[in-house]
Amino acid sequence: MDGMDQHGPAVAGDGIGARLRRKEDARLLAGRGQYVSDIRIAGMRDVAFLRSPVAHARILSRRKPEGAEVFFLDDLAGVKPIITRSAIPGYKLSEWPVMAADRVRYVGEVVAMCLADSRAAAEDLCEQVEVEYEELTPITSCAAGRAPGAPLLHEHWGDNLFLQTSFDSGIAPVIESAPVKVELELSCARQTMHPMEGKGVVAWWDHRAGQLVVHSSTQVPHVIRAGLAEVLGIPQAMLRVAPPDIGGGFGYKCQLQPEEIGVAWLALTRKAAFRWVEDRREHLVAGANARQHHYKLTAYADTRGRLLGLDAEVSVDTGAYSVWPFTAVLEAAQAGGNLPGPYDFRAYRCKVFSVATNKPPFAPYRGVARPGVCFAIELTIDAIARAVGREAADVRAENLVPGAAMPYVNVTNKHYDSGDYPASLATVREMIGLDAFRAGPKRDAKGRYLGIGFATYTEQSAHGTKVFATWGLPLVPGHDQAHVKLTPDGALEVKAGIPTIGQGLETTLAQVAHEMLGVPIGDIRVTLGDTATTPFSTGAYASRGMVMAGGAVARAAEVVAGRVKAIAAHLLQAEAKDVVFRDGRIHAGAASVSYADIGTAWYIRPEQLPEGVDTGGLEATEGYKPETDNGVFSFASHAAKVAVDAETGHVEILDYCIAEDCGRMVNPMIVEGQTYGGAAQGVGSALFEESPYDEAGQPLASTLVDYLLPGPAELPRFRIRHTETLSPHTAHGIKGVGEGGAIAPAGAIVNAINDALSPLGALLSDIPASPERVLAAVARARA
Amino acid sequence: MKAAAFDYRSAGSVAEAVALLAEGETRVLAGGQSLGPSMNLRLARPQRLVDVKRVAELRDVAADDAVCRLGAGWTHAEIEDGAMADFSQGMLAQVAHGIAYRAVRNRGTLGGSLAHADPAADWVNTVVALGGTLVVQGPSGQRRVASEDFMLGAFTTALSGDEVLVAVELPRLGAQARWGYHKLCRKTGEFAKAIGVAVLDPGSGLARVLAGAVEGKPVTLPQTAERLREGGPAAALALLPEEAEARLAHLAPNERALRVVAVRRAIEAMAEG
Amino acid sequence: MQVNLTVNGRPHSLLVEPRTHLADMLRETLNLTGTHLGCEQGVCGACTVLVDGKPQRSCITFAVDCGGAEVTTIEGFDADPTMTALREAFSAHHALQCGFCTPGMLVTARDVVLRLGETTEARLREELAGNLCRCTGYVGIVDAVTAVAAGRQPQAQQAVVATAAREAAPLLQAAEREATPTLMPAGGAMLEERVALAAAPEAAWAALADLRRVATCLPGAQLDSIEGERVAGRVGVALGPIKASFAGTGSVTLDEASRTGKLIGRGRDGASSAEGEVGWQVLPGAGGGSTLVVQLSWRLTGPLAQFGRAALVRDLVRRLAQQFAANLDAMVAGQAAPPARPLGLFALLWGLLKARLLGR
Repeated sequence: MDGMDQHGPAVAGDGIGARLRRKEDARLLAGRGQYVSDIRIAGMRDVAFLRSPVAHARILSRRKPEGAEVFFLDDLAGVKPIITRSAIPGYKLSEWPVMAADRVRYVGEVVAMCLADSRAAAEDLCEQVEVEYEELTPITSCAAGRAPGAPLLHEHWGDNLFLQTSFDSGIAPVIESAPVKVELELSCARQTMHPMEGKGVVAWWDHRAGQLVVHSSTQVPHVIRAGLAEVLGIPQAMLRVAPPDIGGGFGYKCQLQPEEIGVAWLALTRKAAFRWVEDRREHLVAGANARQHHYKLTAYADTRGRLLGLDAEVSVDTGAYSVWPFTAVLEAAQAGGNLPGPYDFRAYRCKVFSVATNKPPFAPYRGVARPGVCFAIELTIDAIARAVGREAADVRAENLVPGAAMPYVNVTNKHYDSGDYPASLATVREMIGLDAFRAGPKRDAKGRYLGIGFATYTEQSAHGTKVFATWGLPLVPGHDQAHVKLTPDGALEVKAGIPTIGQGLETTLAQVAHEMLGVPIGDIRVTLGDTATTPFSTGAYASRGMVMAGGAVARAAEVVAGRVKAIAAHLLQAEAKDVVFRDGRIHAGAASVSYADIGTAWYIRPEQLPEGVDTGGLEATEGYKPETDNGVFSFASHAAKVAVDAETGHVEILDYCIAEDCGRMVNPMIVEGQTYGGAAQGVGSALFEESPYDEAGQPLASTLVDYLLPGPAELPRFRIRHTETLSPHTAHGIKGVGEGGAIAPAGAIVNAINDALSPLGALLSDIPASPERVLAAVARARA
Repeated sequence: MKAAAFDYRSAGSVAEAVALLAEGETRVLAGGQSLGPSMNLRLARPQRLVDVKRVAELRDVAADDAVCRLGAGWTHAEIEDGAMADFSQGMLAQVAHGIAYRAVRNRGTLGGSLAHADPAADWVNTVVALGGTLVVQGPSGQRRVASEDFMLGAFTTALSGDEVLVAVELPRLGAQARWGYHKLCRKTGEFAKAIGVAVLDPGSGLARVLAGAVEGKPVTLPQTAERLREGGPAAALALLPEEAEARLAHLAPNERALRVVAVRRAIEAMAEG
Repeated sequence: MQVNLTVNGRPHSLLVEPRTHLADMLRETLNLTGTHLGCEQGVCGACTVLVDGKPQRSCITFAVDCGGAEVTTIEGFDADPTMTALREAFSAHHALQCGFCTPGMLVTARDVVLRLGETTEARLREELAGNLCRCTGYVGIVDAVTAVAAGRQPQAQQAVVATAAREAAPLLQAAEREATPTLMPAGGAMLEERVALAAAPEAAWAALADLRRVATCLPGAQLDSIEGERVAGRVGVALGPIKASFAGTGSVTLDEASRTGKLIGRGRDGASSAEGEVGWQVLPGAGGGSTLVVQLSWRLTGPLAQFGRAALVRDLVRRLAQQFAANLDAMVAGQAAPPARPLGLFALLWGLLKARLLGR
């Protein structure tokens, strides 16, 4: 393991490890990217959706304006509801109709689809549809949903639980004997993910191909193809899903959407082009679908603060329906499984409740459950440190799984493959200057209280088949595939089914191909996501792209490389084993040929080819998944230094340090970008972002004035230091990195706030740590 | 979301705008930086807009020894950049700089913000803090309204449906004048949770203290201001909690406390500046 | 209607609906899709373009309002050296990921670089605050703009307009007001107003028994029918730019013994609905008079409800309650209720949501 400072030297060249500028930048900087709403198809018409204004109601009547093109569920003949099955015992099925016909279960649920020549006119139509609702008592919290006698969202269930699971490694002896017991009750607000581009879909009928073409802003095009075909009742071959540029995903675009189905149905049945683009208000109201957890925790420790056992009850405010394909219980499964985090303890009991509520259906947001569980366990560690009167950073370090214990199988059977977690913590401790801070003043010149907080996490990335299978998904990811082809003029085409959503795969997959095959990076063209032109991938989610698609590209490029070498050896009168790729050419000793020479030989001058040449030619499709597919564990430590204004409740982040390890970095610049961006979203969770609901189930944030996204003035200049602990299980030792940054900030920041407010004895337990919550904590402490 | 349909007219003069307003069902469009979002959300649905952006009269600047008069059509950015002489010892420019974001300031106007009358808006609080007078024109000519009488409550002003806010008159601050403006925001450019303003001009004897971004019209604190004039910042700060308790009694204690903090910091900033 | 303007140096004469905002005209009519719509609420900045050389939000600028304007979109900067430098720096510093915010961010960044020249990181972050990016954490963006701004001078100060002579007239003084508003928050979405009446409780209650007259005291309300406890009517709404008519029904209960009346109503307008409850009670007051207690509570559903700045509604409802109480007072005193400004309960609720929108 070797450390390197921020913006330190990267690997020379353009291959794996190079700090390479992105290939996708030029078009995006010129304003010539193409997002869903930019697609123009002759005759395309606009769709607007009428949505329920109430959280829970029976629909008594619906009436269309006369002569208008308005569609109710009954009009969508043959379209099936979204039903997400799961292999997990006890999981209850929800039936999510594409549009509500007799019952609505959340504000924002689609009730009618309106069609016009412009979006404005389609919205005019929405206003003319009359719907009569008979309101029912809404469930607006986990506690309300679990209360005896609560009204039921799905009557045939008998309760409001999608699933209840429990796990106990045998905590009873620890409860009996542990000298220190700490209790906490914590909550995380409901959030909305806010990619800058919301959802959107353009669908049209391709008469020539005899195909329904769906341009959806989706992270999972091949998966959506399967889901759409099923609900529409058409063969998958009749459907092409072709995502254009995607303006951010973060998990929001990981599931089959009712709107996608409605617009696709229009194109399928009317054989024409239709468009719907989610606006921000729709996103805020119908898309508030993430992060809301509630924790009751009891931790047991020894008098030095060594964690001996954890007894937890986790409730997830899951919303009204189960999303497809990730189910309503992925969040809960991850929460219960990941709560122990990077800590070494053996007594763990956990009950997890996935509660159906009258809110939008829960979806996997960047980090999936781990931002919540990291917040919970990190506050627990600090609470233990307070209870035993020691420095939290010391207690934390002593509880982390030590590097010498790797590989380590934890209490929930997570296989931590590699890494030195205490060293990572030590790094941020030094970066943020904890020891000097402890010796200095606790308040600044403005009288604000100062504090430092830490959080360390380990993030299972690129979860393998086995892992997903245990989560019961209806569609379990296996091998990701990629196609690599050398063109006649010596350029390289790389195609993969995973889409590009801002994570830079057009660049990093090219780097992998370059590493394997030596074709100059400028001559590599990467095409992603279109089901008509790319091999199967389950998509861009779960920090899996670089491991899975990267592995597939490496495999396919390796196969082509072997064939290129065979032909080159023949042309150069050399042995294939002596052929090397260097400086954009193919060498054997002093002689060399170009990639164009190889392409020419295969495609144009086959008489130059050796006897017995591989008839697969200069292209190959290969699949990849790690042989040990328990997922690979990236890890990081975050440290935050804050100033808290106890009069206004305002929190300023003065410094923020990250020690990050995602195994081999394919492009350090992109790793940093992913980490900064994730951390910024984590700061949002920690301090700003919240989709509150009133007791009637009305969402109270429907504009970006209500829902505060952190801007440049609210965010610190993140400082980062990398280490590279290679995964023993994956091609090139790569681990995933897309989600990690978002996991730790809430834990680090709230620990820092609590450290700052320790002279007042105030403690925060809920996020976001808004000024109101900070002031309330101060007031409670003073009372 | 897209706005509901409406008609649009552009006025060349205040008189023309007033005549169009008098026809009814018409709303003035100035910069549109508040109206635009509410129309896009279809919360505001005016039948007709009369655009006053091209009315030259709204961009007059006039002054005498004691008072300056700014046309309502100046944008926040123009005030921020000092497109007209400074009569306020830099106060207006700094307040303008703190409004929303530059792209909004490039279009939003002084008059539009005052007529919109959001309690959290900077001009609403600044103009009342300075004790300004608003010049309003209707079918029967111009009338002047004291700033404290202009805003009746949140989003409600003394403007009738056929009147246009033409100009704002403000006291000219002397070289000895000091001011403090403090607003509590969670985020740059966002709505203020609380605003405190303090102004003291020993030359003219002007002393004003204001607690703003309350849920309704801004609240002046005349006794604290009087103490400021007589005894300086320390004396003013000593009285502040008591007067705030009385004049902000309609606020919950925690909300009241935030205003006190904002006002105190404004007075402190004034003392330091 | 027709609008004539110049976009990226080319004159255009276009037919658009007045409601079409500049961004939609650029995107849908001129196919300049580099200008992105991120919120249409004037917050995110993705739609920022230059109008007459200044960055502005094209989502809250109506196209018809751009007659004669020169508009520059991201597609119009290909020959601009500052933009070229910014594009280069954005790529070098990884200042973009998904690219959706990038065109608006670049237009803002170019203005900052030209206007301010080299500046501090804190000022730069403040200047960029009107453009939201969800991918980068702004690290690369701040680095890129800093690099391009390095060594640059701020733009020269623009000309100051001449100051005309003002006809001397003193500023007006506002009347001194009572220090304490009479109304106290009663907790939650509920307010209480108390008014002292000269009439004795019996007389005051008798005067209040005529529902039709009581209803006319509720500003903006119109009662269409009364059948037993059932009432039907509508509430006219006019607040700021917002006008609407809520049709609804309600029930009235009167309790002679406690001299308590209650009107519960529910009205709809579009997707929004509001439930309101107005309660009044006559209590014995000082000196043989009485005290009228008016309580207002409300519950909102739909777009009207979905805002966070709820404190504002209290001011609105307070003014309603005060007006209602004053009108009842006048009615009991035998005067006609003053012609109420059209300020209904539901108007106040409308005001809440209007309040949510960028009050500038």
